[in-house]
Amino acid sequence: MKSFILRRLLQSVLVLGLVYTATFWLLMATPGDPFIGQKQPPPAILRALRQRYGLNDPGRAYFAYAWRLVRYGDFGPTISYENFSVGDVIRQTLPVSMALGALALLLALWLGVAAGTAGALLKGRWPDVALTVATQFGISMPNFVIGSALLLLFAVDLTVLPPGGWGTFQQLILPALTLALPYLAYIARLSRAGVRDVMTADFVRTARAKGLPPWRVVSRHILPNASLSILAFLGPAAASILTGSFVVEKVFAIPGLGEVFVNACLDKDIPLVLGIVLVYTLGLVLLNLLADLACAWADPRIRLA
Amino acid sequence: MKRTLLLPSLLLLLIGALGYEWTAAPPAGRRPLVFCQAGQIHTLDPAKMTWLQDIRAALALWEGLVQYNPRTLAPMPGVARRWRISDDARRYTFFLRRSARWSNGSPVTAQDFLFAWRRMLHPATAAGYVTMFFHVAGAKAYFDSRARRSQHPVPFSTVGVRALNRRTLRIQLRYPCPYFLSLLAFPPFFPLNPQAMRLFAVRHGRQISYNPRWTRPPHLVTDGPYELTAWRFHQYLALRRNPYYWDRRDVRCRRLRIANYPDAQAAFLAYRSGMVDVLSFLPGNFAPELVRLAQQGRRHDVHYRTVFGTYYYLCNCRHKALADPRVRLALDLALDKRAIVRDITRLPQRPVNVLVPPGTIAGYHSPRGLARNVHQARRLLAAAGYPDGRGLPRLKILTNTAAPMNARIAEAVAAMWRAQLGVRSSITQEESKIFHQDMVQGHFDIASADWYGDYMDPTTWLDLFRTGNPNNLSGFSDARYDALLERAGRTANSTRRFELLRQAETILVEQQMPALPLFQALDGMLYNGRRVGGLNLNVRLITLLKYIHRRRPREVPSRSTQRIGSRSSTCRQRSHDSFGVPT
Repeated sequence: MKSFILRRLLQSVLVLGLVYTATFWLLMATPGDPFIGQKQPPPAILRALRQRYGLNDPGRAYFAYAWRLVRYGDFGPTISYENFSVGDVIRQTLPVSMALGALALLLALWLGVAAGTAGALLKGRWPDVALTVATQFGISMPNFVIGSALLLLFAVDLTVLPPGGWGTFQQLILPALTLALPYLAYIARLSRAGVRDVMTADFVRTARAKGLPPWRVVSRHILPNASLSILAFLGPAAASILTGSFVVEKVFAIPGLGEVFVNACLDKDIPLVLGIVLVYTLGLVLLNLLADLACAWADPRIRLA
Repeated sequence: MKRTLLLPSLLLLLIGALGYEWTAAPPAGRRPLVFCQAGQIHTLDPAKMTWLQDIRAALALWEGLVQYNPRTLAPMPGVARRWRISDDARRYTFFLRRSARWSNGSPVTAQDFLFAWRRMLHPATAAGYVTMFFHVAGAKAYFDSRARRSQHPVPFSTVGVRALNRRTLRIQLRYPCPYFLSLLAFPPFFPLNPQAMRLFAVRHGRQISYNPRWTRPPHLVTDGPYELTAWRFHQYLALRRNPYYWDRRDVRCRRLRIANYPDAQAAFLAYRSGMVDVLSFLPGNFAPELVRLAQQGRRHDVHYRTVFGTYYYLCNCRHKALADPRVRLALDLALDKRAIVRDITRLPQRPVNVLVPPGTIAGYHSPRGLARNVHQARRLLAAAGYPDGRGLPRLKILTNTAAPMNARIAEAVAAMWRAQLGVRSSITQEESKIFHQDMVQGHFDIASADWYGDYMDPTTWLDLFRTGNPNNLSGFSDARYDALLERAGRTANSTRRFELLRQAETILVEQQMPALPLFQALDGMLYNGRRVGGLNLNVRLITLLKYIHRRRPREVPSRSTQRIGSRSSTCRQRSHDSFGVPT
């Protein structure tokens, strides 16, 4: 177990190095100049700017930025928001994206399991059919459509919830729901399939035969075994919810990392893009590791090698 | 169930709660006044700012030697209580007021200005507007010697700025500059507090730079109407009235928030729901509808006007065919600018045939420019050797994705040229950064451009076509034009100077046509004039947040007692009356 974790962590250092290299050279290869805007300063000013960010010589910049990361854990000031270092930006925006993502996933998990289980138990009856249609809908609708529709309904027409922003609990509800819906639908499907599989198993029949009340059969015997596939899904889901919140952040004006990332790419803000890409990579690697560990812990049949 | 899903759930709950707690707004009593801007704040270092949203924030936090009159933008006393200008209009002596204080209570001195200016003039500071300082005697030589890293750099004492004592400052100009005084109200000329910045100084040999975090609260010390209490990245600046500001009686807002939203639609919804008091821009997709409702008198919170900006098409004068002024003139004469405004932008912008927005600069009379004349256009094109567009290579129209209307305008222009002149063109749309790089490198035939003047003088436009100016992207070069600008620069008499500049602009818009002017830009704000007072829509969109305040219901003025930023309906009326001829 320990050696497994150690090996995975060492691997992830390698992955981070490769991602850093690829991102850096891709950025260098893309057109556009971060220092050129609408108004052109004298050439000496442009030179000074390039020098400040160490971008006069890409080869040296590649090592200089890596060194800065190792030495200070930060890439230094960003180009488009020079009063904030890359670390400052990530510290202020990553918690927002993480909070939103975590609450969305929590919502997806509980509602999804509840809906899926209900669907499986009531198989073939109208709630099950409604659920199947709804999940199909939830999976295929893009975020910005759901987000805008929810905004129109709750913020514009009914005016019961604020239309966006960040800072109060009410402002969290609509974006979390929007972000959760596709995952909710997927988890509902997974748990419906899982419950249906387990329901016909011998140990469930035994449990029923020995006279356990139905809810106890579901909670003690069916769900634990049905939820293994959901647990395995949570790792990748958490990763994609974290990296894919851009649209929701834009629609609901949430100051999260996704929105900053897209703008940084458009502005060609090299240190900021590098920093965010590395944070996303680290998040992916760690979440996948966590998911593997969780599966092994929940299911004794899985062995870590 | 307990084992498998409860633990992840608890973990998620913990992450969610911690992240939320970390970033949620601190509980506040009464909501501060919220002024929402279109873009993010890029920097709060006055030496380096070039974005309008940064400049507005700086004008709320700092004050220069002079400040803008909120209505006319004419310079009026700021930190300097009065000043004297020598007879040759080249020497300015400023007398600083005793009561001018930094937000930490210490007095604002002449040395604070010199400190800021010396820092700004150094190329390593990378101040975007450094050229504004070159009016000062010796400033350019100082900058150039530092930029060249010459062995014997010119000392700062050769620059024509001197502190005669703690409260007297003298500036010597190279040439008379009639708008120099109003430049001093602009952020690059603001003073900085050396004591507060010293903590952030980083020494590299003889050179000192400052860790850019010096602008973050609680470190930032300013001398203007407000002080900075919080800066949430991509959310807002929180401002509080500066208790030491000398003119604090005019600052009626105690707590102000300068917010920004990543998306115009989100900002508009926030404004609708009352979370935002003032939206400092017309949200792109809704603008035509909002303006139409305002014109019909059905909305009273839409304030708009034509501003000190021109939307134009730039010709690449290095292009084989476009190097011939007859081709450029033909392209301009064939354009139906009125139709572009009526059918494409659908906003009441003003079609123009000149570059400097007419009527915006007192005393400057624009040339007449050339009105649309398709026959003449065809004749000119034929005379240039391209009858009915035959033989003319396909023109590449470059435009950017910054505004959706850019592509629509390009399509309309291309269609007009095709239909009227037989000129064929292709449209390329690029992301802003790539667009600007292509512009600078000259990779375009025709490019869409808009320019907003930085100071109230025709040269803010005319310099764009001067040989050697880094902003001259058209490659246009005309000895006669350069000579006229040079002569105007040495002329002290304002009437004579404006006449020379008018002749220069005539060359641009009637003979050479390196740029095809389309329309004078329009912008506006959304706010309920019964709730928010002290705002005004000036021609440069420089909103002076010093005067903003919440209105109590009984405070709404009648027409006879209008203050700055009059009641919304009258204000709207006013922008109608002055349509094109702003007051």
